[in-house]
Amino acid sequence: MSMNDNNTILNTSHLTKFYGKQCGIEDINLEVRKGEVFGYLGPNGAGKTTTIRVLLDFIRPTSGIATIFGFNSRLSSVETRRRIGYLPGELSMYGNLTGVELLHYVASLRGGTDLTYATDLAKRMDCDLTRRLKALSHGNRQKIGLIQAFMHRPQLIILDEPTIGLDPLMQQEFYRLISEARTDECTVFLSSHILPEVERVCDRVGIIREGRLVAVETVETLKSRALRRLEIHFARVVPPEDFMSIAGVRDVVVRDSVLSCIVVGSLDTLIKTAARFEVVNIVSHEPSLEEVFLTYYGGSKSNA
Amino acid sequence: MLKNVFLKTLRDQQWSLLYWSIGLIAMAVIMTLFYPSISSMQSINQYLEELPEGMMEMFMGGEIIDYTSPVGYFSTELFSFMVPLLFLIFAIGFGTGAIAGEEEKGTLDFLLANPVPRWRVVVEKFGVMVVSMILLAFVFWAGMAISIAAIDVDLSLLKLAEATLGTMVLGLVFGTFSLWLGCLKGSRGLCLGISGGLAVLTYLLNALGSIVEGLRDYRFLSPFYHFLEPNILKNGIDPFHMLVLVGLVVMFFLASIPTFTRRDIGV
Repeated sequence: MSMNDNNTILNTSHLTKFYGKQCGIEDINLEVRKGEVFGYLGPNGAGKTTTIRVLLDFIRPTSGIATIFGFNSRLSSVETRRRIGYLPGELSMYGNLTGVELLHYVASLRGGTDLTYATDLAKRMDCDLTRRLKALSHGNRQKIGLIQAFMHRPQLIILDEPTIGLDPLMQQEFYRLISEARTDECTVFLSSHILPEVERVCDRVGIIREGRLVAVETVETLKSRALRRLEIHFARVVPPEDFMSIAGVRDVVVRDSVLSCIVVGSLDTLIKTAARFEVVNIVSHEPSLEEVFLTYYGGSKSNA
Repeated sequence: MLKNVFLKTLRDQQWSLLYWSIGLIAMAVIMTLFYPSISSMQSINQYLEELPEGMMEMFMGGEIIDYTSPVGYFSTELFSFMVPLLFLIFAIGFGTGAIAGEEEKGTLDFLLANPVPRWRVVVEKFGVMVVSMILLAFVFWAGMAISIAAIDVDLSLLKLAEATLGTMVLGLVFGTFSLWLGCLKGSRGLCLGISGGLAVLTYLLNALGSIVEGLRDYRFLSPFYHFLEPNILKNGIDPFHMLVLVGLVVMFFLASIPTFTRRDIGV
């Protein structure tokens, strides 16, 4: 946790922000290392945006400090913001400007960023920069938001719910952007409420719930604890006992020829067992974040 | 035009400034064209003399002057109400939009994510307000100068410039007040309401103060008092009263910076 550690890009210490009566975030201790993609995972209203807005010095912590590149985010915010690319969660940009104009403006505010990379990104994302922003769809505005966050090749990129509004194809492009940033030794901090997305792009994940950081895990750990709700449709009625005894399989219910259960970890034994019968269909549901929290981090509001 | 916050803000104002300029010129021309018919109506003066003294003072400012003279007509018709009102509306509108407006639209987060210190945003926006007001003041003055030259009215262009300058500074007092309010609380409605309300109250304080004995001692609290009392169009700028107005502008501007740099930006 040493702040002098060259590998630490972002560090928060007991970071707390209260808004009037309602609690924003409380006692957040985070460490993000150089070159990693750090996911900040939590349901809506958990305090993800609040944390990010403290990091960018839009709001001031009630107590605790955040250090970015060794700078105090509060006292040297211009220095930290110079090195950060940021995509706001609720993206509002100047609607009266066209994409090109907006990128020019941001480039000027950043002291004259070269726009070659931005143009390149726009081409890759198939993004129309000639129209006014207010005439663009949400997804297209989001693309421009992403371009301006990446274009000056910042050392740290902070993205607040980056894939909202992007179609699946664009999401793939976004994941490619992230992995490129990783090879450029760029550090990424992204917030999300979608578990599979975080599992897909991140190295480590901080899980925030009701303003508190409940766990920081590597993605491998998260995946090994993967929780799935499965429904297997068989051609005939199957004996539930065969499935109940499998390790990691819970809540087995057989209704007619449909078996439903929750699987923790590997699916291997379950699938092999099912294969002994005639399988018509398998439906898998990603667990909601709330289910994951309840399973691993326990607690309701009262003891969170 | 997108090199910095100053130029970007000025660019956003381009259409607004054009329409305001057209409006101000139109007003200058129309009011001037009315003058010849007023100046030939000596009966107006008789009518005005029959008014109670208090009402005369209230509507015509401190001094009783010949309404049919150019100075009397233009100071009453333009500089005692209409022109200050327009400059105030522009200034308050701009001051409100500068910080509170961007904050409500959500673009302030986007702007401040760049390495721009908050004080600079305030300074550059204030700069645009001053430049816009100077532009509008000049346009109005030029419109007046051309109109009165066209129909040969005897009015000092210098005094006219001084009166326009005074109006501009009065507008800036309320403009910087609303800028400061926006820096304090990022709500456009609140900012607009309080600034407008304050303008009405201080106008009434000055106007009623000239006829209500109990209010007389408090008139100095009203920026309108410092603008109207010297009757700039007749007597030129009074350094003391002007200094008070400029002082208010500087005070609200300087207060805006720490007010804005200290607080949380709303979502």
